[in-house]
Amino acid sequence: MNKLLLALVMLPSLLWKRMGADIAQLRAILDVKLMLDDRKPLNVGRRQNEQKKPRKAMTLLGMFIFFIVGCVYLFPLMVFADNRIMGLWAFLTLFLFMLTFSLITDFANVLVDTKDKIILFSRPVNDKTIFLSRMLHIFIYLFRMVFPMSLAAWGFIAYSMGWLAALLYPLVILLLVFMALFFVNGTYLLLLKVVKPARFKEIINYLQIAFSVVLFSTYYLLPRVMENAALQQVSVNDYPWVRWFPTYWLASVFSWVGTVPSVPVDRWLSLLAVVFPVFCLYASVRWLAPNFTGLLSEADTDAPPQKVVKKGGAGRYKRLAELFNRSSEARAGFTIAWLQTARSRTFKMRVYPSFAYVPIYFLYMFFINTNKPMSEVWASLSERSGVYLALLYMTSFVMLQALGYVVYSEQYKAAWIYYASPTSYPGKIMAGAYKAMWVKFFLPLFASVSLFVLYVWGLPALLDVVLALVNVMVFTLLIMRFSYRQLPFSQLEQMNNKAGKGLMRMLLTFLSVGIMGVGHFMAVNFWWLKLLFLLLSSALLWLIWDSFTKTTWDNLEGVEEDM
Amino acid sequence: MEPIISIFNLGKYYGDKAVLKGVSLDVYPGQIIGYIGPNGAGKSTTVKILTGIIRDFTGEVTVGGKDLRTHAGDIKRMIGYVPELAEMYDLLTPTEYLDFVGKLYHMPDSLVKERSEKMLDSFSLLEHKHQRMDSFSKGMRQKVLIASGLLHNPSIVILDEPLSGLDANAVIMVKELMQVLKQEGKTIFYCSHMMDVVEKVSDRIVLIDRGDIIANGTIDELRNDTSDSLEQIFAKLTRSGNIAGKADAFASALSAKDTGHE
Repeated sequence: MNKLLLALVMLPSLLWKRMGADIAQLRAILDVKLMLDDRKPLNVGRRQNEQKKPRKAMTLLGMFIFFIVGCVYLFPLMVFADNRIMGLWAFLTLFLFMLTFSLITDFANVLVDTKDKIILFSRPVNDKTIFLSRMLHIFIYLFRMVFPMSLAAWGFIAYSMGWLAALLYPLVILLLVFMALFFVNGTYLLLLKVVKPARFKEIINYLQIAFSVVLFSTYYLLPRVMENAALQQVSVNDYPWVRWFPTYWLASVFSWVGTVPSVPVDRWLSLLAVVFPVFCLYASVRWLAPNFTGLLSEADTDAPPQKVVKKGGAGRYKRLAELFNRSSEARAGFTIAWLQTARSRTFKMRVYPSFAYVPIYFLYMFFINTNKPMSEVWASLSERSGVYLALLYMTSFVMLQALGYVVYSEQYKAAWIYYASPTSYPGKIMAGAYKAMWVKFFLPLFASVSLFVLYVWGLPALLDVVLALVNVMVFTLLIMRFSYRQLPFSQLEQMNNKAGKGLMRMLLTFLSVGIMGVGHFMAVNFWWLKLLFLLLSSALLWLIWDSFTKTTWDNLEGVEEDM
Repeated sequence: MEPIISIFNLGKYYGDKAVLKGVSLDVYPGQIIGYIGPNGAGKSTTVKILTGIIRDFTGEVTVGGKDLRTHAGDIKRMIGYVPELAEMYDLLTPTEYLDFVGKLYHMPDSLVKERSEKMLDSFSLLEHKHQRMDSFSKGMRQKVLIASGLLHNPSIVILDEPLSGLDANAVIMVKELMQVLKQEGKTIFYCSHMMDVVEKVSDRIVLIDRGDIIANGTIDELRNDTSDSLEQIFAKLTRSGNIAGKADAFASALSAKDTGHE
């Protein structure tokens, strides 16, 4: 599959060449990167002749899940069955959000990665080639996600809008992917240019959070707006601002084949759909990419050599490690997870933005009834218990995100130390790391959410808070137990296991909110039922925790970290 | 005297490929064993089996009278390992890393603190003890790694190229350290390609090639009444042939007509 995609991205090689890239080098770099992605690094103690088959099955499963997600995106197309342009616009917008979300959470550090600095930067490879190689590398993985995800809509469009529209559809999706790719990464490059290299990665981090906030809030509001719009049979003319969206330009591309009515304005806009991605591409390669590696190296050496870790507060994590763990191994796991996550940029880049989602969801609750005055919304809040349950369960995303990344490190080889140590149950170390993530990331968030919930809904919600707490732990531990049963910082994150992970976790969170939240919601008015659930969940928690901490060395080896 | 490490018919296979083909070796307490061999001979594999990192092997290994398969935990406590490549979590400071390692060995915090301060001090790293190691040079990392390997006061010390990256003073210090450790009755398993050092420090030299031990004895025994250096003995025994000729051939590859460029 990768070979095919490589051929695809090298199709416009004349274009790449015109932009200043060296085609032979570009191909060589991509070839090696893809080869490396397919080769799992030999982890400490891992058997070399391990079978490759499970991986294929996982890829298929992943594709299937993306296909299902794609089915969900059909929703706007169906809602706006009579108003194709709005339907296509809404569909493409949802799609664009998903792509951007994935680019920000899953692929954030590919562009600014400096791992291959010594190999590539020391050789006569120009910046444009390196920049393009990274873009196309991301593109290949994005494509692997987008393809299954766009299938459902393709079928739907072919069925309802005719074969001409179906023929045009791949082009539109391709333009969409390019738009997202070069827009997000172009922004990063622009930042690299304008801010001080030393502060670049920090700023990227803030930007990601801001990006996520905007994205996520729009994502929540969009379906509601759409629904209203569809109900009221609105047209574009009622919402002229829609025309500002690049996705509207893309939707109007369909006017070329008469799928949507051809209004003069739209015809001009449809040209923008082609011009804009090309412009983003051109601008980023031509103006922003030069000196890219130079700036990157500078950004990488930001830590002044004499950076001293402050002594103050150093005792805090130690006290917490003592407090929360009984065994020495667990304390080791706790300590390393606590310290590494505070310093690893990659980790921060991935996990911190996820904090934004809970507050956004909170705001969303207010906007859910936009036509009512704020005071009334506030007053009616306390009557709706579903709201606070969702809020409580949403916190599991932060935990999942933190736990998902705590197993990865660029220094995964340093994990030899666990294997050489006299630890009989590596599960204890893992349990320590779990607790560190729990105390550090989950607890503060959950505590503040609970306080808010108790403030608004009063003491009766206490049982719900406790039940949600136990359930979230059960849920996250289950995921850990069955898909991330690995020692902290012992795995190399590769493109293969990175692509779509953030998105998957988001979906898993929705699933948990869905299944447990709904179960919980149905029991919300029966305190005895909740008590029963609490007992059952606690028993389950105890069982899973026990099995998790008793993970043996043998358990570790057989596990594939893909899910 | 009972051997402290006893390896009998040790084999390791990756699929059909044999990396170790029945290695047998006894090591006695208080000895420095120089473990040498060409690249890919199976040195690191032996070490990884001894340290419990690779658990899948054939044959018998006993350390301190205990079977490695059934008492891996006890054996790991006896062994201190300094691996070849300075792989460590370098976002931590030396103090934090040593603290982490100490916890993995169930050491009380106070002891870890006391020992690591002393060790870092003797490596002149004390002023860097609260600095993140990602800014450290290779030699500085190597020093921390050596300290972390010895932190729990092991009776067997396995050193894999411990001198790599160290500055001249540190090299002297580590060589001295090996002698001191030996006098304390510790057994040292020293893997290296630096023949002159191996020749000087080792009580016994074990040469491994293609998964087999092809020589095992004191340097005098290996010399066999010649005046050869260990380097020469190594070249003879590992059948590497005419090395000077190979260097010429290598250089001539560069002078071959360069047709790669257009």
